[in-house]
Amino acid sequence: MKKMFLMTLSLMLFAFSGWSQKTVTGIVTDESGLPLPGASVVEKGTSNGVITDFDGNYSIKAVEGAILSISFIGYQDADVTVLSDVLNISLEPGVALEEVIVTTGYSSIRGKSFTGSAKIVSSENISSKNVTNITQALAGEVAGVQVVNSSGQPGTTSTISIRGTGSVNGNTSPLIVLDGVPFSGSLNSINPQDIESTVALKDASATAIYGSRGANGVIVINTRKGSSQKSRMSIQVRSGSNMDLLPRYDYIQSPEEYIGYIWEGQYNKAVLGGSTDPIADANANLYGNNGIDPNYNIWNENGASLIDPVTRKTLPGVTRRYNPENWSDYAFQDAQRQEVNLNISGGSDTTTYYTSLGFVDDVGYSINSDFKRYSARLNLSNRPKEWLSTNTRLGYSYQETNNGGQSSDSGSVFWVTTNVPSIYPLFMRDSDGNKIDDPYYGGYRYDYADEGQARGFAPLTNAIGDANLGIRETIGHNFNGNFEINLDLAEGLTLENRFGLQYTLNNRDNVNEPFYSSSKGQGGYVFKSKDQYFNFTLFNGLKYIKDLDESNLEILVAHESTRWERNYMSSSMYKLVEPMGREFSNAVISNPPSSYTQDYALESYLGRIAYSISNKYFVDFTMRRDGTSRFVNNKWGTFGSVGLSWAISDEAFFQSQNIFSSMKVRTSYGVLGEQRVGYYTGYNLFDVSNLNNNISLAFASKGNPDLTWEKSNQFGIGLDFSVGSFAQASIDYFNKDVEDLLFSRRVGPSVGYASIQVNDGALVNKGIELDVNFHVIDTDDFKLDIRVLAASIQNELTQMPLDPATGEEKLLNVNGYFAQAKGRSLYDFYIRESAGVNPDNGAAMWSVSYVDADNNGAFDSGEEILSLYDHKIQNPDDVILTSTTEVYTEATKKFNDKSSYPDLAGSFSLNAEYKGFDFTALFLYSLGGYGYDSAYANLMRNVRQNADYNLHTDISGRWQQPGDVTDVPRLDLNTQINQGSTSTRFLTSSDYLSLSSLRVGYSINESALEEIGVSSLRLFFTGDNLMMLSKRKGYNPTTAASGNTSWYNYNPLSTVTFGANINF
Amino acid sequence: MKNTIKITILFLFITIGGCEKEFLITFPTNQISGEQITAASQLNPGLQSANVAGIYATMYDDNAGGVDDHEDFGQKSTDIKLDLLSGDMALARKGYSRWAAISEFQTTEDFTHFHNYANWRYYYKIIFAANIVIDGLGGNDFVPETDDAKSFLGQALAARAYGYLYLSQMYVNDPSTLSKEVLPIYTDTQTPNVAKSTLSDVYTLIESDLTKAIEYLDDFSRGDKSQINKWVAHGLLAYAYGAKGDFANMASNAAAVINSGEFSLMTPSQIVFQGDNNAGGFNNVNNATGAMWGVDITADQGLGLVSFWGQMDIYSYSYQWAGNYKTMDAGLYAMINDDDYRKDQFVDFNGFPYFPSNKFYHEGRTIGGQRQVTADLIYMRVAEMYLLAAEGFADSGDLVNAKIHLKTLVDDRLKTGTSAYIDGMNKAELLDEIKLQSRIELWGEGKSYFRVKRRKETITRGTNWLDFPGTSYAFDNEKLTFEIPEEEIRDNPLLADQN
Repeated sequence: MKKMFLMTLSLMLFAFSGWSQKTVTGIVTDESGLPLPGASVVEKGTSNGVITDFDGNYSIKAVEGAILSISFIGYQDADVTVLSDVLNISLEPGVALEEVIVTTGYSSIRGKSFTGSAKIVSSENISSKNVTNITQALAGEVAGVQVVNSSGQPGTTSTISIRGTGSVNGNTSPLIVLDGVPFSGSLNSINPQDIESTVALKDASATAIYGSRGANGVIVINTRKGSSQKSRMSIQVRSGSNMDLLPRYDYIQSPEEYIGYIWEGQYNKAVLGGSTDPIADANANLYGNNGIDPNYNIWNENGASLIDPVTRKTLPGVTRRYNPENWSDYAFQDAQRQEVNLNISGGSDTTTYYTSLGFVDDVGYSINSDFKRYSARLNLSNRPKEWLSTNTRLGYSYQETNNGGQSSDSGSVFWVTTNVPSIYPLFMRDSDGNKIDDPYYGGYRYDYADEGQARGFAPLTNAIGDANLGIRETIGHNFNGNFEINLDLAEGLTLENRFGLQYTLNNRDNVNEPFYSSSKGQGGYVFKSKDQYFNFTLFNGLKYIKDLDESNLEILVAHESTRWERNYMSSSMYKLVEPMGREFSNAVISNPPSSYTQDYALESYLGRIAYSISNKYFVDFTMRRDGTSRFVNNKWGTFGSVGLSWAISDEAFFQSQNIFSSMKVRTSYGVLGEQRVGYYTGYNLFDVSNLNNNISLAFASKGNPDLTWEKSNQFGIGLDFSVGSFAQASIDYFNKDVEDLLFSRRVGPSVGYASIQVNDGALVNKGIELDVNFHVIDTDDFKLDIRVLAASIQNELTQMPLDPATGEEKLLNVNGYFAQAKGRSLYDFYIRESAGVNPDNGAAMWSVSYVDADNNGAFDSGEEILSLYDHKIQNPDDVILTSTTEVYTEATKKFNDKSSYPDLAGSFSLNAEYKGFDFTALFLYSLGGYGYDSAYANLMRNVRQNADYNLHTDISGRWQQPGDVTDVPRLDLNTQINQGSTSTRFLTSSDYLSLSSLRVGYSINESALEEIGVSSLRLFFTGDNLMMLSKRKGYNPTTAASGNTSWYNYNPLSTVTFGANINF
Repeated sequence: MKNTIKITILFLFITIGGCEKEFLITFPTNQISGEQITAASQLNPGLQSANVAGIYATMYDDNAGGVDDHEDFGQKSTDIKLDLLSGDMALARKGYSRWAAISEFQTTEDFTHFHNYANWRYYYKIIFAANIVIDGLGGNDFVPETDDAKSFLGQALAARAYGYLYLSQMYVNDPSTLSKEVLPIYTDTQTPNVAKSTLSDVYTLIESDLTKAIEYLDDFSRGDKSQINKWVAHGLLAYAYGAKGDFANMASNAAAVINSGEFSLMTPSQIVFQGDNNAGGFNNVNNATGAMWGVDITADQGLGLVSFWGQMDIYSYSYQWAGNYKTMDAGLYAMINDDDYRKDQFVDFNGFPYFPSNKFYHEGRTIGGQRQVTADLIYMRVAEMYLLAAEGFADSGDLVNAKIHLKTLVDDRLKTGTSAYIDGMNKAELLDEIKLQSRIELWGEGKSYFRVKRRKETITRGTNWLDFPGTSYAFDNEKLTFEIPEEEIRDNPLLADQN
């Protein structure tokens, strides 16, 4: 009604504004022809403008030849020239940052005036992927954002990092803000279909407002709202399959091939041991106490008459007693994915609502791994009084997760399927080689190797039996609620109050059955835990907005407090009545229970001033003071930022060129803090336990009460521009100086502890990010866009922490495969260097740097330098020579000039539309980094005499006789110790190209639908994780931030679905 | 009216939004902080003893050496390693490759190997825990007045000496090279990394700590056998004197324990299974009359596979059952008199001979049965004192006293015969017999290693070893001595070289 009045009023006003003008009328519609109410229609370069009515109609006075600019949130702007009296305009969906509202939690800022670096990810790009939560959907969508999907277990959330690693030991993940409130629940509880927009804030200006928590970037997620103009119902259904499409390592699957390698190992071992008849020794030892358990001889021959000593393969004519199973055949399954979502939205002048129901059933390709979620959401906005408005957003989800066979030990089905030597059967065999019926559960009895046989690989266990016969289930309840009440106190002055809370309860049940599992001796075992998380944030702020003639002012002062708490309780019992009963009443003997609480609190005072002049120049200042409970003596830190932006395209001189159609430059500088370093690192901690019913307090870790905020000084500059209608681009440069690093400084363990958390050292992260979208073809029928994202990030430690023993900066801090040193990146490899294989004897060799103490011109044991970097600094006058050694421990650790940081990483995507069809393909890539492929190293190990591990097919290139030139050393059953230990031999280029997402859709012509009451219908096919090209089959550098691998890894699922979206 | 409502609501939010001063103060509940201990001590003075008890709890912790490996569980994991190195315990089958790095001499030749770090970290952690107690009481110069203070300080000093004693034997090739710089010494919790001190300085500290401990613990009546009392301190001091070759003092300290009458040798039914499941001494520290120091393990300690029992006992859910076979050395077994009860401790299992299944067994005696470990741990026995006294007296020329002590033990171990064969032995023969008796009596308890080093013996591996059967190694061979771990050399700027 009010809008009608305004419309009428404006029409009346314009009616008097001149006779040289004509009245232009028309309808503004969306891409499907539905009217867009509330769109703005402005005559370019003037203040002459109107908004469309309920039916999308507008009417405006304009001279012929004038340009009308039409805009609506969520759609691309359109400029049309006035040539006739009637102009109907259809807007294309899409977002140009310039025109979109950036909701940063404390403020909604029109994109143009936004001084920071922010990237909006469209809801379409998220909801169309086969993901159960938003984390995986962000891969490839924002330059400089890395998404690590560590597991294929359905329902896993990925870890996100923005602009590299900003801390050594502090947390490096971004802050998540849901509907304006910091969120610490599980993102898995948010149905991606309910998400309206997702914004990644990357630089100081964008994140300073979150102070303490924004140093590693912020991801802002806003859920959908209803519209007061339009009631809608939308249904989405999709159905498909989860598969294991990404390649696995090429491991040996033929028992005949494998047994030959063990025999060869025995032979080489005998030769090296000085045997006079190595063939006889190898034959004698192949099976037996110095070899493989004879119970696992699957052939009809004994060890002495199995192998041809010349070919080192099984003799022709050797037959099998039985065929051992391929364990993978029993570990993986056909898996389905089903998803149904329904949402309804609408509203009136004072109330809008959005409500949704969702269901997803996602089954993994590994047995007993699945995820089910039922989710519901209600978002309600109200304006009961002119001066009072409220927003209530409630979400609930119920989740069931089964994750059997995924422990990081012999219970991992991924470990066993790749690494079990193919000579071992999955099912137990009797003396005739026949499978044995399982008297308890039916089927065949799994071979647990628990009847006196000694399987060299994982005896007493059977991960596939465990995964099939045990229970590993978590049932979760997630609730999140945000309540907002805003009061207009006076003209331009608003009191904003927000209260957000997240509550999660995870109930975990583990049952080990009583007949075969590791709990057999106890008669079965049941473990239950209740893990409860509660987080609340309270925000109260006063906001003042003043519109002046040429400028705009916004001031915010606020207070915010957050408290997070986790309550954990678990207990277990054994000796079960029913083999799969999961309640304690089903068991008779108790183990001691345990419970504990972890918590932290944060409190902040903040202020922000934003000022804009002529809608061209924008500046904002932020100040913030934060306190945290994680620090004992120095809780408080002060942070702030300043940001500037300039809309160049609004300047008069810009109009004189016709290359660029828009341009904006923005820059910011700020100081931000990081405090996420463990809840109680300020204290010396002791373990509490029972010793003869007395209290014992055993020292556990050394605390540092003086620990305080890590500070990062962030500078950023960015340019957003469009080149005609051909391309849009953003280029960003950033420089992040981090000081007072939260650093876990290692100490010589003789002091009684191994490391202490300190604030010391400094590092720099800097980089360039590029985001370009080319509109290659843009006709009515056919559109083709190519979008390229690239980021190049460099990292360098500029100061090392002090060592109190010397009072000087520590030269080197070795941390696993990496070492930290001044001038080096956090992730520079510092390991021994492989020097190939000695062709004379097949031994692995490593490089050794040495000082030739006896001047004999050759390396002698004892002359080696163990760690090159610090030795060189401490002994600058030494003449250092290099040689090779066959003794691993003599080899020199040094910087290998390889880093796990890629030189360039990002994505590129193709978007095409032809008539009703649309097509999108998203590829991810990374170039120039290295990872340590330990899963491969494990398969290339020097296996032991009892066949304790499987081998990679690359072992076929091993050294066999003097003169062989190869890089794979001899098999000698660990006679040469450390042969496969960490060295550059397994350092692998982490370059990759993957097809992350592919989709094809078809929208059915509306006119055909109208009759059945449907407003739009879209059919689509979506595929995720369809291809991975990397240095080696099976090596997936995207599952860990470091590019390293683990042999327990559940390779991410590949998913293919068909679906339909129906709107009513 | 409208403004009144607005002001009321405004005031309401400001009140809710304001925070209490305590808002930003949080304390752990999974572990406990030093501050909480101090505060709780004012209400519960007995808590001071909890820090002492914490030293003992570390001794069987299933991640005591900080490497989170199944071969890392404090003192008893050291005992297994030392018996493998001294050659009495053979690794006869390598299921899961457990202990293979010790058997193959990888650990002792490879300073990067985790065992080197685990032992080093464990004993220095004990020393740090002892220093916490000593600092808490007032430091090294503190003179205790109350009975409680005396007992706390005495136990802490003895625990510190225990830490340095093991380090000085395990990480030093020849523990009689007194002038060699071998170990960093810390006597408080504040000093950062320091350089190595000489072996002589280490021994001086051990002697001084134990001498003071014996004085302070004179009136201490301990609550249970987990605590160090003055007799345990005497036992440790006997080993310390032996290590530096002071055999007379070794004998006198060992004899002091025997003469106290506090302990009697374990009986045949305690040392070997004879049909009574509940008579075993090695799974029950309170049954074992001869146990001077040990701990009563209950379900509350939460021990399982990663424990002495998970490694050594076929009647537990264990590697010993799963194909990682630790048995007696064949050569040693052949030397046991058939009339000796202790020969029955070693039996066949799964086709392999010499399993210690009648010495170390869970009382249930079900194969793979004990999942939750409640069998106890023993660190020191009075039998050791008989053997140390005998050796010390013999070496000092007091053959009469030596024979009395040795015969007391041997008489208890023979089914029908007597120890009369010892009467006629000369010094060399007697020392050989003491060596044999100690190898048999203390098998699997980690004590032979000390004797190998102190008597400068050469060990020979028997025929049932998978690695290097029939080969011999002198006591100071690199292969028998642990290496200072890479992490210490790397992260301690004042310690650059291997021993």
